[in-house]
Amino acid sequence: MNTILDMNRLGLLFKRYFTENKQRELTFWGITTVVFTLMHLAGSREKAISVEMFLYISGFIFAARTFKAFNFTPSGMHYLLIPATHFEKLTMSIILSTFYYFAMILVTYIIGTVLGTSLGNLFFEMHNPIQFALFQPAIPDFVVNGHSVYNSGPSLLNIFTAFAGVQAVFMLGSIYFKGNAVGKTMLAIIALVMIMGLIELFLLKVTFGTYHLNGRMLNISITPEHNMFAGLETVGRIFKYALIPFFWVVTYFRLTEKEV
Amino acid sequence: MVNVQNVTFSYTKRTELLTNLSLKLEAGRIHGLLGKNGEGKSTLLKLISGLDFPKAGSINTLGFDPAKRSPEMLRDIFFLPEELPQLTLSIANYEKVYAPFYPNFSSEQFNAYLKEFDIEDKKSMLNKLSHGQKKKVFVAFGLATNTKLLLMDEPTNGLDIPSKGQFRRMVASAIDENRCLIISTHQVHDLDSLIDSITIMEKHEIVFNQPIEEITKKLFFRVADRNEKADDVIYSEDTLRGLYQVCVNTTGEESKLDIELLFNAILTEKNKIVKLF
Repeated sequence: MNTILDMNRLGLLFKRYFTENKQRELTFWGITTVVFTLMHLAGSREKAISVEMFLYISGFIFAARTFKAFNFTPSGMHYLLIPATHFEKLTMSIILSTFYYFAMILVTYIIGTVLGTSLGNLFFEMHNPIQFALFQPAIPDFVVNGHSVYNSGPSLLNIFTAFAGVQAVFMLGSIYFKGNAVGKTMLAIIALVMIMGLIELFLLKVTFGTYHLNGRMLNISITPEHNMFAGLETVGRIFKYALIPFFWVVTYFRLTEKEV
Repeated sequence: MVNVQNVTFSYTKRTELLTNLSLKLEAGRIHGLLGKNGEGKSTLLKLISGLDFPKAGSINTLGFDPAKRSPEMLRDIFFLPEELPQLTLSIANYEKVYAPFYPNFSSEQFNAYLKEFDIEDKKSMLNKLSHGQKKKVFVAFGLATNTKLLLMDEPTNGLDIPSKGQFRRMVASAIDENRCLIISTHQVHDLDSLIDSITIMEKHEIVFNQPIEEITKKLFFRVADRNEKADDVIYSEDTLRGLYQVCVNTTGEESKLDIELLFNAILTEKNKIVKLF
């Protein structure tokens, strides 16, 4: 018997999730499609920000409900006693809250965009082209003969990375806090940001002897050939990507240590 | 099957719920775990199944460390809690979703148990059933999993009078020499003639753990006349029917075990009784 990851058990966990949540899933994705359709009735350009906001906000609410079984002790007991490893349970949760959710948002977004733009053109006698703003920059790079030209599409990978990071944090929050995980996780993030701000002020005091620079800017001249921050940029990128699995690992240990 | 060694457990740092508790439970028996409210019966079941972790000591459940909650162990354990989980599933879907996790699950047995409990419609939603009905479904499912270890916390709570009888019959028929059932309860009458081993907890410790045959060999249960005097009486309760007594079995004659009387006797005359075993 595979004691870490058994695909059969993982499949059973998915079957369990979709059977238990069939109605909720159908309702939610139906509503999402309607929202995207309405959003695109007047055309599909420059909707990327709204779609992204919808993705993040609805996403973290979904992620914060990942371990909602622990809000009620008998349900938590039932969940922990399902004969599957903690790793399988976590893997299923990651796939659902991150990959599945993102994919479903894209699918409903595409359907909503096509439906919304087509219905808008039909009922309001418009001639808007079907454009997937989420896959393009919100503001055109330049305009030629009245047509917007987009040089480079926004990286969907960047959106996904940010989304996965948010989901990972809220998933940890959902197992860490008992009840109202959304609010408590947000408070924890605010507290963390404030602590970081205080550290920044402290470093400012230590480095420059003052808490503020009196409106003066730090004037650092960097020429491209002296790219002194190239290494730091790479470190930053690694840090950004490493943060997601870091939260997954913490969630895993939290799950293994969970008592009800 | 279950070996608890010097386990200490507490929910808070100040008060210990279980102190240096040791217990060994064998297969092929229905163990009744008795004790007053708040003695730690449910906690002990949670520790055995890996839902809580001991602060000190060790537990071995089916050869595994329960704290690891490995699937090999979990597929051979079914825990029926006192309060039931909230699931928005029909009975049929519950079976479809959860039965594959238990390799020895028998659909025929499940259907037979449901039928015995008069639950005919498997399309009924679990969240729409009464507590008693829901409990019947979980009891039926638990027995049909054919797991080696069955843990039941107050299983008869919420069951109506006929269902309690049905429960006793079903459990008695489902247990064989490879299975072990631990029933935690304070409703001792519901387990009359069902359990074959009694474990009593008092002040967060196991004060008594004996099989029924050993108990009836050493103790004699009788109803005596109020005027009757006897030296071998350990404990006596005055009731309308007369004096219910627990005596030392000096003749070797077997009597019908009165679990409630034994429980009260142990709480009152613990040292006298324990000394006999």
